[in-house]
Amino acid sequence: MRIPPTLSAVLSNLFKKPATNPFPASDPVPTPEGFRGKLNYDVEKCVGCRLCVMVCPAGVIEYVPEVRKVTFWLGRCVFCQQCVDVCPVKALEMSDEFLLATDDKYNDNLRWFKEDEIEELKKKLEEQKKAKGAESQKK
Amino acid sequence: MNVDEFVKAFGERFPEAEIRVSENKQPHPKRRVWVEIDREKFHDAMKFVKELDPKAQFSIIIGMDAGDRLLAKYHLEMFWEEGGSLSLVIGTSVPKDDPKLPTVTDIFPSALPYERENQEFLGLFFEGIPDPRRLFLPDDFPEGIYPLRLDETGIKPEMVKNAGHPYRMGGEKK
Ligand code: SF4
Ligand code: SF4
Repeated sequence: MRIPPTLSAVLSNLFKKPATNPFPASDPVPTPEGFRGKLNYDVEKCVGCRLCVMVCPAGVIEYVPEVRKVTFWLGRCVFCQQCVDVCPVKALEMSDEFLLATDDKYNDNLRWFKEDEIEELKKKLEEQKKAKGAESQKK
Repeated sequence: MNVDEFVKAFGERFPEAEIRVSENKQPHPKRRVWVEIDREKFHDAMKFVKELDPKAQFSIIIGMDAGDRLLAKYHLEMFWEEGGSLSLVIGTSVPKDDPKLPTVTDIFPSALPYERENQEFLGLFFEGIPDPRRLFLPDDFPEGIYPLRLDETGIKPEMVKNAGHPYRMGGEKK
């Protein structure tokens, strides 16, 4: 019988440690610098310029005209980072979070700036407007 | 054969053809020959190209809806064995009410998939095509609709589906 050419490699590998990472028993392989993970959005910083809506290739971002902010559904994000690069006020950044599996595509973890938050901000803006109106009347 | 020799030889054989040479610097300097020729002369022109270089590499056919006409551009890479190949774009056009071109599969057999593609996507038909079946579109796709047409035979608005953004869907409910 012919000796298979891989035999010596197979035999020597039998005595080596396995080169695997037994996740979840261990930590996942660390992410490199500049890793593109889940998107973070800073509502406060956002000026509502809509540039991110224009560059996003995946339809993740929708403009909310009442409050001049944007809202995200990351279920569609392709992690291209174009919105981060284009944002003039650095309201967007990519985190190193990548364990994003879920059983609901509209899971809260995949959404930024949801309906109730929008309502809340709307109320706040209206109150501010009223306060300003009252102030200017006083003068 | 270099660009100038090709332009001369082709221009002598087809004096009515429009020939233009473009030059780009990026990403690397390259001169490219563009030919525009009537459909009556098109098949002869392709035959002539093959005679000039029997090993010419047929790259692709790009079809386009230009209002009342359909354009077709055939890209070929020639004389590549001589190093620094010659890039040729030879184009022709047909009126929409008679969208027919002669097949060139008898000269360049590898043109077949591109001709089949243009038939189903643009409604540009090739006379004498040896295999007219659809290539990419599904079998249950409606007849008489050509997705790349910009006119009424193109995709209908009701065929376009958008899988919906949760903000939009919530917005519509309100
Ligand atoms: S990373 Fe890319 S896909 Fe994701 S939201 Fe930004 S632009 Fe859209
Ligand atoms: S680009 Fe930045 S500031 Fe402009 S709308 Fe998007 S997140 Fe807001």
